[in-house]
Amino acid sequence: MSPWLAGAVVLLAGAAMPAWWMASRGSAVDRLVGVELGSVVVTLELILFSQATGESQYLIVPLVLALLSAAGTLVYTRLLAPRSRRS
Amino acid sequence: MNAVHGVMWALLAAGLAVVVLSCWAALALRRVYNRLHLLTPATSIGAPLIGIAAAIADGPGLTTAQVLFIVVLLAVTGPVLEAATGRMAAQREGLTRRESPQ
Repeated sequence: MSPWLAGAVVLLAGAAMPAWWMASRGSAVDRLVGVELGSVVVTLELILFSQATGESQYLIVPLVLALLSAAGTLVYTRLLAPRSRRS
Repeated sequence: MNAVHGVMWALLAAGLAVVVLSCWAALALRRVYNRLHLLTPATSIGAPLIGIAAAIADGPGLTTAQVLFIVVLLAVTGPVLEAATGRMAAQREGLTRRESPQ
């Protein structure tokens, strides 16, 4: 097992699990924090997987995920915010 | 294993440790505002360390540029998302006005 693959396993077991746990319990805001942490962990996981396999074309997946997760989180913060009285 | 490889594996291990510890510490804390503080170490310290380790492994090239772009994107968007989430949480609890700050 290469160190990159070992790192991917460590990240999956050590970081993705608590993020998944936070994303599945508590209030909506609590779960959103779990989703934010989880998307960062999965992005890094995919970079490590690309390094482990030596396939650089796989890097397009974490690149798109980093862009979409940032935009998606901002949409969630907009949707979860309380409604304005004027609107 | 030469010194460059040693530095590379040390950076990878340090980045992994920062991300893993951030996640477990966030899980241990209960308040949303405390949890939000632990998002930035993962994006602004852990991700760049892992990205630099990958850049050392790959050497100069398009792959390195793509990896570095991804980790810079994570480092830049992490604090922004943290601030947006904190503001939204404060609005839900009535700690700040809906419109502030403009």
